[in-house]
Amino acid sequence: MLVDNFNIAYKNIKERKSRVFLTLLGIAIGIMAIVSLMGIGEGMQQAVIGELSSLSDTIIVTTGDISANPMGGGFSGGSLEYFTERDLDDLDRIQGIRSIDPILFGIATIEFSGETSTVSLLGLDAERMKTIFGIEFLGLEQGEFMTEGDQQNKCIVGYNIAHETFDVNMQSGNKIVLNGKNFYVNGIYKKQGAGFSTETDDYIHITTWDFKKLTGNVNVSGILIRVENVGEVETIAQEIELAINENHGDEDFSNAVTMSSILESIQQIIGIIQIVLLAIAAIALIVASIGIMNTMLTSVMERTHEIGIMKAIGARNTDVMSIFLIEGLLISLIGGTIGILLGIIGASGMGAASGTDFMGGGVALTPVVTLISIILAVGVSVFVGMISSLYPAWKAAKMSPIEAVRYE
Amino acid sequence: MSDHVIVTENLNKIYGHGYIRVHALENVNISIKKGEYIAIIGPSGSGKSTFMNILGCLDKPSSGKLYIDSTDVSKLNDNELAKIRREKIGFIFQKYNLLPTLNALENVTLAMSFAGVGVKERYERAENLLDIVGLSKRIMHKPSELSGGEQQRVAIARALSNKPSIILADEPTGNVDTKGGWKIMDVLEEINRDGETVIVVTHDPAVAERAKWVIRIRDGVVSAHASR
Repeated sequence: MLVDNFNIAYKNIKERKSRVFLTLLGIAIGIMAIVSLMGIGEGMQQAVIGELSSLSDTIIVTTGDISANPMGGGFSGGSLEYFTERDLDDLDRIQGIRSIDPILFGIATIEFSGETSTVSLLGLDAERMKTIFGIEFLGLEQGEFMTEGDQQNKCIVGYNIAHETFDVNMQSGNKIVLNGKNFYVNGIYKKQGAGFSTETDDYIHITTWDFKKLTGNVNVSGILIRVENVGEVETIAQEIELAINENHGDEDFSNAVTMSSILESIQQIIGIIQIVLLAIAAIALIVASIGIMNTMLTSVMERTHEIGIMKAIGARNTDVMSIFLIEGLLISLIGGTIGILLGIIGASGMGAASGTDFMGGGVALTPVVTLISIILAVGVSVFVGMISSLYPAWKAAKMSPIEAVRYE
Repeated sequence: MSDHVIVTENLNKIYGHGYIRVHALENVNISIKKGEYIAIIGPSGSGKSTFMNILGCLDKPSSGKLYIDSTDVSKLNDNELAKIRREKIGFIFQKYNLLPTLNALENVTLAMSFAGVGVKERYERAENLLDIVGLSKRIMHKPSELSGGEQQRVAIARALSNKPSIILADEPTGNVDTKGGWKIMDVLEEINRDGETVIVVTHDPAVAERAKWVIRIRDGVVSAHASR
């Protein structure tokens, strides 16, 4: 029975190919938007989270307020306050901490190819430098990070310093002079731009040991902490804040940020982006469903006579209704399928186009079209097809057979 | 009354309301026995189409009763009427009224699909009926590829498909050339000989002459008499 009604609906669609095509183009565009936008959102999430979750045992402690950017705002922070020896000693007493690496901040003069300038220096442990700044969407443009045992008088230079500060382009392997001492350029960071933190673009990174030797001071502007147990990372972060704030008599002196809290804020941002994208897709779908309803109403009107014939030879109201519901559903499903295919193509196209410039960093964004988004897309097409052909189908079912059969 | 397929009691059909009421049918009392061949004649506007539509359960009477196979259909709802239409009545229209998107075979099976006949039996019956009306070689043709007479014979096959108690034909030869018209009348007569009740609405005296009984309608008033 249903098969017969399906057959009739299918033949009706075949009879009006071009109009049906235009209608299903509408729904295809809506579904395409859903699939590709969800794919991009998912890709964004996976790119960022995949990278950052490798740092889930890390706590970054800074002074002063913190901006919500992924790398923890600023180790230098714009704040002129620094951590003290006592702070570091207190941290030592907190249970569950595996390592404590101070990050030192200072200013130095730099000489390169006969020019002189001033730069910001960041001193941190060489191994930590690699784990924090070596993740894929930061990373080095050339050269490499310092290795254990071979890190003295070597530095990693930020993109802007290497390529914009001096007339001559700096290469890894070049020699520079910092505060009168020779340094070997071991590597140069990729450009980060404004999207993420700017801890690399305008900085020169050297080891803590070199930093102390070079500047003589120990201005600890940030501390990198790794915990033993990832599960305790939040409670330890709270303990750290409490201990340091007590030392300085200021409730807001320090800020201990975990990767998971950074992840949360990133997820929130991506979530908002996804909602906005889906809202756009929803508007497209509403327009498409109006299109389907319009087509179905026209189809019902055009076929009034046929509806009359079917009723005259004994079709129930439900038969007529199901024929038109199936027809709307078919249009919507065909459109949805085309939309899913276009969405997958569109997502990879958009991914390729956004590619290297994404968020100003070097992230190759690979859109991820999940099974869930495809199921959702099919579900939405079925829903849209049903809803928008409900009224036309009801109208067809309610026709009086005598009037319908007379209609020419 | 059990051998009567159609019985009407004081059947009235009134169109409009207030001062502009039109009495299309007035107190019609007839009974039609099973297996009869009846012609309904009358000038256009006399109410014969209205009568036909009420007999075919496409339209409801304003008052009075209509029994089809002893069932009072004047009080039935839409779906119950649809059931009567698909089980008891075979309609043949002046303009054939085949579905243009379906071929001859599918047009005949359609009514059976509404009645829930199994697929295999449906196609066997449809092919058999198209053979009876002389179209066994054209079953895959769409209505637009058939002549008027051929389309009407497909419609006859469709009308017979659910083994109805009554065949109602509204001007079945009206849109068909003379030769095709005679062929259709032959088929209808053959059906009648096999025991089917056939009611033909016509204004063609030659068609009416072939019926055993003639019901004459003039200004909504019905009178019946033997044609020969």
